[in-house]
Amino acid sequence: MRTIPVKLLIILCSVFLLNGCWDTKDINHRSLPIVMGVAMEDDQYNIHLQIPDPGTDTMQVRIVSETGETVSKAVDKLSADMESRIDLLHVKVIVIEKELAKEGGKDLISGFMRAREVSPKALVVVSDEEIESFFSNLNNTTDPQGTTLFDFFDKDAGWSPQIALTRVWEVYRSIHSFTRDVALPIIKSGDSTVIDHLGSAVIKNGRMVERIDEEETLLINAFHEESTHGKVEVMEEATVLIVGNTMDHKSRYIDQVPYLNSQLHLKVVLLETRGNPTDKEIRTSLETQLTNRFNEMFTKLQESKADVLGLGQYFREIPREELKKWRSEHYPKLKMEFEVHVVIRNEGQLKLGGD
Amino acid sequence: MDPFIKELKETFINSDDLFLHEEEILDVPVFLVGFKTLIDFTKTKVILQKYRETAISSKKSIGELLNEIGEVKEKDVKEAVSFLMTGKLLIVSNNRRKYVVIEPVPKMLNRAIEPPTNENVLQGSLSSFNEDIETNIGLIRKQINASNIRAEALSVGSEQKTKLSMLYFGGQADKKLVEKIRSSIEKNQDREINNLQNLAKALGFSGWSVISKVNTTELPSETVAFLRKGRVALFVDRYPFALILPCFLWDMFTLENDRNYPIPLMASIRLVRIFGILISLLIPALYVALVAVNPEVLRIELALSIAQSREAIPYPALVEILLMLIILELIIEASVRLPSTIGPTITMVGGIILGQAVVEAKLVSTLLIIILAATTIANSTLVGIQNSLAVRLFKYVLVILASIYGILGILGGIVLISAYFASIETFGISYLNLNYAKEGTKYG
Repeated sequence: MRTIPVKLLIILCSVFLLNGCWDTKDINHRSLPIVMGVAMEDDQYNIHLQIPDPGTDTMQVRIVSETGETVSKAVDKLSADMESRIDLLHVKVIVIEKELAKEGGKDLISGFMRAREVSPKALVVVSDEEIESFFSNLNNTTDPQGTTLFDFFDKDAGWSPQIALTRVWEVYRSIHSFTRDVALPIIKSGDSTVIDHLGSAVIKNGRMVERIDEEETLLINAFHEESTHGKVEVMEEATVLIVGNTMDHKSRYIDQVPYLNSQLHLKVVLLETRGNPTDKEIRTSLETQLTNRFNEMFTKLQESKADVLGLGQYFREIPREELKKWRSEHYPKLKMEFEVHVVIRNEGQLKLGGD
Repeated sequence: MDPFIKELKETFINSDDLFLHEEEILDVPVFLVGFKTLIDFTKTKVILQKYRETAISSKKSIGELLNEIGEVKEKDVKEAVSFLMTGKLLIVSNNRRKYVVIEPVPKMLNRAIEPPTNENVLQGSLSSFNEDIETNIGLIRKQINASNIRAEALSVGSEQKTKLSMLYFGGQADKKLVEKIRSSIEKNQDREINNLQNLAKALGFSGWSVISKVNTTELPSETVAFLRKGRVALFVDRYPFALILPCFLWDMFTLENDRNYPIPLMASIRLVRIFGILISLLIPALYVALVAVNPEVLRIELALSIAQSREAIPYPALVEILLMLIILELIIEASVRLPSTIGPTITMVGGIILGQAVVEAKLVSTLLIIILAATTIANSTLVGIQNSLAVRLFKYVLVILASIYGILGILGGIVLISAYFASIETFGISYLNLNYAKEGTKYG
């Protein structure tokens, strides 16, 4: 009986002494970078970190940079030089310089996934300008919280449907998937706004192979059934606001040739009209415009053999061995039929043709 | 002098409130023995006088008269002493071998029936138990007009006899449970019961259980509701509470008085109490975990503003929160101790310490003050002071685990607490029982 309290005491003491968790650092002794910029300079990674630095009353944003053979080496060097430990878990946006993206960021992304230092939910973005100038411009225009870039991509804040949203894990998946590639947003620092969105980079196997513009990115987002709510489409007859979108797909695989019929259902609200178009004219015009745009983009994608839309996912009947060759053999042969169906949900306060 | 009287006198030496009053009843000299402090002597004498007069008119002998007015006992000092202690009047005559025990007019030493002091009642019956066990049982009988209420009188203690009473609904309460309680009290006849710890020992419970195994209430209306659900109520003399056995986790969230509201309101009030226990258990631990161990869980905006509020705070989060929690416990304890006239001073000083000064002196962060306030308020939503004390203690377990293992530690702590709850049983009935009433009716 007597031994039980003694044992209990030993267990309790060891919980406190052996857990090795006394070196946890409080939140105010950690640096929480929000944006990480990665560039390649003569076989060395050049890392930029944007770190909000909370003072008692004010919040300042600091940009620190370092080079190293690997990302962790560079961060480690930075951490040693700084007064608080760098905690990469709060990195929300990873900006990759275009040159690096073209060369291929396979090792970089795998490193992020392996090390668990950076959250796999962080967004990956391609910068069209040099990382150095991008960050210095960012610092000049950014808000005191330092979350500008993150807010730009935040669905609850500044995101718009023509911006691609791709996370680290999605990029990693695309590297190892047979049938799925990703689009990363391309940005550069803007003149009047903080950021200029230039469209998207198509990443195949971790390497940037093609560029698409904003309108095309919208179609990709719509294809993935992301909300396209709020996008304004301008046509000759009218300008409409998209308020809802759904997709339907039908796939067939006949004689080694994949066929896919995709239908985009759009709900729009009329904003402005030119002349006196009828309901039907507006719908046909929008449908043709979007279909043409999609077909153009699709041809481009097919040529670059990058399956950003993840179309291989719709052909379950292709065996896995065959699927390995999806990008090289099947995808270029794919016959795609894209149809847009538009419903005008609301003509506004004025009736069409009413005037 | 009679040796019996002498012996009595010796037993109560230096007890000056014992009176030995010489009288003659029907020409026989007798001693009236009793305690001045327990007996209203004047009124008792008037009643005796009346008996005497009727006896004279109907020409009864002294033996007949004494038989009529009281209980005739053999002269046994030990027994006589215990009668005296319970406030009885003894009539001892010199030359007889017997004495008579009379129920005198007692001194009024009880409170009146008052509104409850520990439990606030909104829209419900207000009378509460007091120290007198018979009043309490009377209150129960008044509260519910049912013939199947059983009130078994028991008494415990070798030197000091304590009156106990066990109430239950015949046909509703589990017979085995009643039998177990009865036998464990009878087995512990020689234990003295002065407090609930003694009682818990007498019932065979461990004294080290954090969760009290008896539920206490001072409201007859609540007690009756428990009885109706097949529970057993124990009353201890001079203890103005009903002790409900067995006790369940769900009692922490429910009051019978809730049923005086419409069902949706009742459900939401109970939901608030469930939130109460969760918030008071989890929030301080979450603060430590999120600030010190796992800041990555926070949204970046929140993380930054917390970092900003903790700027220049000298202590690590654990020390900071323990410091403030202890000050808070001191304030709560002090406001219980203090007479109500100086109580507000403590609240005011405490409010200044907690609300302003500590933050301005940069000892703790502003966020912590919010956490503390939320914890304390949430803790008070629980039903039963013994339950909220237990939750107050469990909170520290979670805080310490959180400081070591972060969010994982909180999870581990919750598992630990749940396992502990699951391990508690009262006479073979689990603490986590949810529908005891329904099961209980089976035993009818």
